[in-house]
Amino acid sequence: MSNKELYDNIFAKVFSVDKELLGEEFVFGSVPNWDSVAHLNLITELEDTFGVMLETEDILHYGSYLNGIEILRKSGVEF
Amino acid sequence: MFLDIDSFDRDSSAIVDDSGVTMTYGDLCDFVNAVKELNLPRSIVFCLCENTAGALAGIVAFQTVKLVPLLLSASIDHMLLENLEHTYTPRYYWIPETMAGTLKGVPVYSAYGYCLIQTEYEIYKVHENLSLLLTTSGSTGSPKLVRYKYGNLESNAKNVAVVFGWTKKEKCIMDLPVQYTMGLNVICSHLIVGAAVLLVKSNLMSPGFWDFIQTNHGTNFTGVPYSYEIMMKLRFTRMSLPDLRTIAQGGGKLTDDMFHTLAEYAAKTGKRFCPTFGTTETSARMSYLPSEMALRKIGSIGKAIPEGELFLLDENGNEMKETEAEGELGYRGPNVTMGYGTVRKDLQKGDEWKGEYHTGDIARRDSEGFYYIVGRKARFLKLFGLRISLDQCERIIKEKYNCECACTGTDRKMTIFVTDHSLKDELPVYLAGKLNLNASAFGTEVIDELPKNESGKIIYTKLK
Repeated sequence: MSNKELYDNIFAKVFSVDKELLGEEFVFGSVPNWDSVAHLNLITELEDTFGVMLETEDILHYGSYLNGIEILRKSGVEF
Repeated sequence: MFLDIDSFDRDSSAIVDDSGVTMTYGDLCDFVNAVKELNLPRSIVFCLCENTAGALAGIVAFQTVKLVPLLLSASIDHMLLENLEHTYTPRYYWIPETMAGTLKGVPVYSAYGYCLIQTEYEIYKVHENLSLLLTTSGSTGSPKLVRYKYGNLESNAKNVAVVFGWTKKEKCIMDLPVQYTMGLNVICSHLIVGAAVLLVKSNLMSPGFWDFIQTNHGTNFTGVPYSYEIMMKLRFTRMSLPDLRTIAQGGGKLTDDMFHTLAEYAAKTGKRFCPTFGTTETSARMSYLPSEMALRKIGSIGKAIPEGELFLLDENGNEMKETEAEGELGYRGPNVTMGYGTVRKDLQKGDEWKGEYHTGDIARRDSEGFYYIVGRKARFLKLFGLRISLDQCERIIKEKYNCECACTGTDRKMTIFVTDHSLKDELPVYLAGKLNLNASAFGTEVIDELPKNESGKIIYTKLK
């Protein structure tokens, strides 16, 4: 599975949504069940899957599907 | 006034919330006086709470004028609210102005983003000592309420302020809901000494939370185990938080590892780590572990707060006198509430518990008199710091699906055992919605048959 597929699977699982919904508009604040619990689950899954450890600032600003890809790229994950 | 809030400097901060509202003690007293002038008749008021100044000011005012609030979350499940409304027919609602359009009734007063709505329900008599109603399990399905009496909130506020040594210089960071028993106690134990309450709506995982507490120089934080899991993920032990002097904990058991990490962090950075233990039935706190003992007493809930007494009961319900013992944890003190209510006429009942409550937790007392929670007699979990009755969860599921099910699990995750495969994905989402909790704390296991004994009772020990 490609990293993009892994990434999409994690979002689909954590937020219980269809992958078609993942895109530009998938942003904290517009996703109803994106609360602190979902956020913690998301970060934990991403760190475990990609073997990275995100910085506090990156975790706090992990506010959307798209900017998350940029944050992971910065940590050395290739998309 | 409630907690003698009129005895403090009018200019000092009482409430600062992260939606931009600030109230001094003077503002709070003026607001309480304005509510007094409405001459509201003694009756039930449903408060739909958010962590905002308006919600909290309302609670303070209703305590002062002796209306009886039932505290609920503003994001309460619609069906549950309807159910509670039919059961308790409140004369008033205290709700965010943004929600005012959703209710039938006449607005009679509004301030600080909140609105008092008078409904068409008739006033009925409630017991003269009844001061407040909270739901059990934070937000669980059936409307079982805890009945508070006058003096419960006040005594717990006073005694908790004493053990923590709170002064008017404190600024508590409050992201626990105000309708949650420990949240309310943290608030009251600060207002009673003239300190400031920083009410936070944004969650721990958002930049807004950290900006707000740093800008406002929060001096102490109280979290449930889940809060500390999030803070660890954020590597908060590496953050520079010079204003933060005390971290307190309640709402369930930390792992020994986490307990140790927090105690060590506090010791190294010159802060205090103070675990506590409480329940809704005891107006929150019963015990407190002093920070200097934390590294020596890993996992302990400490000893009783002033004016309170912890004790252990053996299997026959007799108090165990030996120092080292293990049994059901009981508590006596002025913060023990009056009892439960499940129907409207229960609100006429007086004090059934008479200052003594048996928690359903099994605890151990060590040779120096410190208590540790080691297990449970009653069937409940503590999810996200909320006590969730497993039997009640089974009832919620059965009411909706009319199916066989058994709920069990750990404080991290509830497992729902079902025999009907088609319900596998639906149940966690449905139950989480009813409890107003995140679905990730619920899982389903499909089995052919639930293990039962001869009388048809589920054998939970076989469900693992």
